[in-house]
Amino acid sequence: MSSSGSSSSQSPPNMASISDVSALFQTAKKYEELNVIGTGAYGTVYKARDLHNGGQIVAMKKVKVALTEDGIPLSTLREIALLRQLEAYRHPNIVRLLDVCHGGQSMERDHQLVLFLVFEHVEQDLDSYLKRAPGPLSENRIRSMSYDILSGVDFLHSHRIVHRDLKPHNLLVTSTGRVKLADFGLAKTYDTEMKLTSVVVTLWYRPPEVLLGVSYNTAVDVWSSGCVLAQLHTRAPLLQGSCDSEQLHCIFRLIGRPPRHEWPENVSIVADSFPEYPAQDLADILPRIHPHALDLIKGMLVFDPAKRLTALDCLEHPYFTEEPLT
Amino acid sequence: MPYWYYDKKDLQNTPSFRDGIPNDSENRYRKEGARFIIDTGSKMDLGYNTVATGVVYFHRFYMFHSFRTFPRYITACCCLFLAGKVEETPKKCKDIIKVAKSLLTEQKFSTFGEDPKEEVMTLERILLQTIKFDLQVEHPYGYLLKYAKCLKGDKAKLQKMVQMAWTFVNDSLCTTLCLQWEPEVIAVALMFLAGKLSKFEVVDWNGRVSKHNAWWDMFVEDITMELLEDICHQVLDLYSPQTQPSGGDSPTQTTASKPPKNEKKASVTPPTSASPVAAITKPVVTPVKNGSDVKLEPPKIDMRFTYPGYPAMPAYPVYSAPPPAIPAARLPIPAGPPLVYPEPPPAPPARFPPVNVPPPNYFSPMQARGPLPPRGPIPPGPPPPRPYYPPP
Repeated sequence: MSSSGSSSSQSPPNMASISDVSALFQTAKKYEELNVIGTGAYGTVYKARDLHNGGQIVAMKKVKVALTEDGIPLSTLREIALLRQLEAYRHPNIVRLLDVCHGGQSMERDHQLVLFLVFEHVEQDLDSYLKRAPGPLSENRIRSMSYDILSGVDFLHSHRIVHRDLKPHNLLVTSTGRVKLADFGLAKTYDTEMKLTSVVVTLWYRPPEVLLGVSYNTAVDVWSSGCVLAQLHTRAPLLQGSCDSEQLHCIFRLIGRPPRHEWPENVSIVADSFPEYPAQDLADILPRIHPHALDLIKGMLVFDPAKRLTALDCLEHPYFTEEPLT
Repeated sequence: MPYWYYDKKDLQNTPSFRDGIPNDSENRYRKEGARFIIDTGSKMDLGYNTVATGVVYFHRFYMFHSFRTFPRYITACCCLFLAGKVEETPKKCKDIIKVAKSLLTEQKFSTFGEDPKEEVMTLERILLQTIKFDLQVEHPYGYLLKYAKCLKGDKAKLQKMVQMAWTFVNDSLCTTLCLQWEPEVIAVALMFLAGKLSKFEVVDWNGRVSKHNAWWDMFVEDITMELLEDICHQVLDLYSPQTQPSGGDSPTQTTASKPPKNEKKASVTPPTSASPVAAITKPVVTPVKNGSDVKLEPPKIDMRFTYPGYPAMPAYPVYSAPPPAIPAARLPIPAGPPLVYPEPPPAPPARFPPVNVPPPNYFSPMQARGPLPPRGPIPPGPPPPRPYYPPP
């Protein structure tokens, strides 16, 4: 991340100032890296200290962007612009984006630019929160967390953003128990980056349409949220497939193999490659669950994306509206 | 999050000023840079939003860097290049440079260095860092149209007024107004100016309530007459005579050299006397070749964050400069086809839930701002009421 001393030897003398820009790239030095928090398909997240803001702890995501002939790709710029714009709303269930900077020209020879997205640091994610929980979560806590997740998803969707990779790792839990969504909005940037790395991406929260490789929309996030909501009750992932087809088997064992007329067209996999699994009763998997919660999750785990609840539908579900929690 | 509005004091004590460049020279460089972005953008058929975004980047950039360090025309090219990408109207870097070369003298183009494209590429990263990746910029155009739709009165007169206000907004890009006031405020002020000059008095408007003294009270709270006039004067100063032809000297880039000579008083502080167009000698804004082919047109492609295309809107004459000698109190009325009001942007597809959170300072009146208001970000609206929000 450190900016290398720029070489200005080839530059014409009157433009030396533009090439001699090492001083300008001290921005990344505003942050002191502490340790790696996580490595994903997109890059690495560091815990860091914001040296210009009283040593505030931040989460710094390092994203490598492949430069094109015309500089920074349009899609990356659009996505950063969007993230910046979203930030103005300060939605309570969206992780704060504090700063964006780049690591200067050190990677220039590889036609890469290192971008740093600086986020607020939240101590734990939902994955570790659930692992650390000494016992089942209280009904109040589950409902509150479910609502937070769906509010965040609804907010993204109302801005035409599809998260695409909702999972407990991407859901941050604050010290007051609120949930915030992280790691969204750079789908196109990540896409180009993912080709360069081979990090295993979890499939457990993937909806059938993504696994089948057909076009998808905001409904994918509702499916993923449904899996997470179920996990809040059991503290264990609902559908744990080891590969794409195994994941589909898991899904169909739960919700039943869909009727032929619901099977999407233009899919290389035919419905008959799966046994005619009958639908399981979700209540058997989620014992002692509140009937409203059960009904909500059922509505989210529907094969046909068009018949799935929307995030807004979920927020208006009786599970959240019928009785206020005490 | 960065905040991009400055007091006049800040606008005088800029990096260029601290680098030995007098304010009036800096203002001229800003004007020339902005003008050059407009000309280049127009020649490349870029929409007014892209052009305006590029100009705003340009003004913001020089709040952090000196004109002596970064020559204005290459910075201008880079701003337009980046704005093209952000507004989804991308142009190839080499094409922008080609157009720039055709518009500039050989001497000015020499500031682009031996490898202009590589220089622009390097500058792109500096620009991004400088503007802190804050890429989405709002402009007064959309507000202008939105406000105009609420006004009642003679349709033809109203159209004329909006058209004039539109031209003033174009011209305002050559000032530092976008570093001083939000686009809503600029839209109100320049429509106020256009109304005065086209003798269109707004007496009634849709949504009027008893506490409104003027139509703009509906859109921006507590805007003072003093402020309106200050903004108008900053634009009108563009048409006042200049003591020196524009496009003359540039700051030399060796620190040893002397700053440019003193010129006319800086236009950031408008004269208190109000006879703005009394003595026009030379229009500041001259169309590139023949004026007819220089137009800022409505965006040709759907732009997600601004107004989607205005199919019904005719091409605007941009910078149809005011005629050389205009009698006082009669203002340049830009020539061109009559303005047709565009339809409001179509609602987003119903597949998605409606936007529940009001965008910040979108239609709801902004915070009270007096002549010298405290600077601080406009707070976004409160979260929308939800059917039930569980306590933490």
